[in-house]
Amino acid sequence: MKRFYLIGFLLLMGFDTLAQISFKYAGTQALPVAASLEWVLRVFGQPWVYGAVIGYIGAFFTWMALLKHAPIGPAFAASHLEVVSVMLLSIWLFDEHLNTARVLGAIAIIAGIVCLGMAESREHVPENEPAPAEI
Amino acid sequence: MTPVAGSISSLVAGLWLLNIVLDTGGQLAFKAAAGDEDAGDGIARWKHMASRPWLWLGISCYVIEFLVWIAFLSLIPLSEGVLLGSINIVAIMVAGRFLFGEKLTRLRVTGILLVTLGVVIVGVGG
Repeated sequence: MKRFYLIGFLLLMGFDTLAQISFKYAGTQALPVAASLEWVLRVFGQPWVYGAVIGYIGAFFTWMALLKHAPIGPAFAASHLEVVSVMLLSIWLFDEHLNTARVLGAIAIIAGIVCLGMAESREHVPENEPAPAEI
Repeated sequence: MTPVAGSISSLVAGLWLLNIVLDTGGQLAFKAAAGDEDAGDGIARWKHMASRPWLWLGISCYVIEFLVWIAFLSLIPLSEGVLLGSINIVAIMVAGRFLFGEKLTRLRVTGILLVTLGVVIVGVGG
């Protein structure tokens, strides 16, 4: 069962990461930004936007499956920790640099997400959770 | 509404704020749709939700947010964008507190303050 959670969390992070990377590519290719139909058509006229759609849909169903079975705290944290994978990938894919502000900000945000995940875990004390042996 | 040079940062800020409103609005609408006590189970539950506005309001918010987020990310580095987007977590918790009376424990407040601090650091220092 532990392995089921772990695969679920990684899958969720993977879909979220795919979505963010695709959003960036899609947006960059549709520049300049304008509140116009032309911009929307440019966005949907190249393939990356569909990567974002796949990422969104995949993340949605993974999240729903996780919520049914996995403890809410770690699931919550896993659903937001894609900031780490996205940051690391954007150095490699988009030649971005991590300045001091981004690193410090990321550390504070990740610490905050972990606190919130722990808070969720504490509030949802498993009362009628099926024993792992049953599955 | 093509942005002119110099207005980029206010455009970015506007898209960021719009994203917070749409994301929080969407989540709250889904919460209202899913939390309906007399919705039943299985397919009946989905039919019940589809016949009421909350699910559709949530979906509409998410569709618009999808475009707003693409526009936002196309104007700033992705690593900065995802960090600034973390503020949505805070907005939803605060909204849950006021609209659904969800409790803010000490650990939650600590988490909210840390995420907010992180977003401020990134926002100010880039």
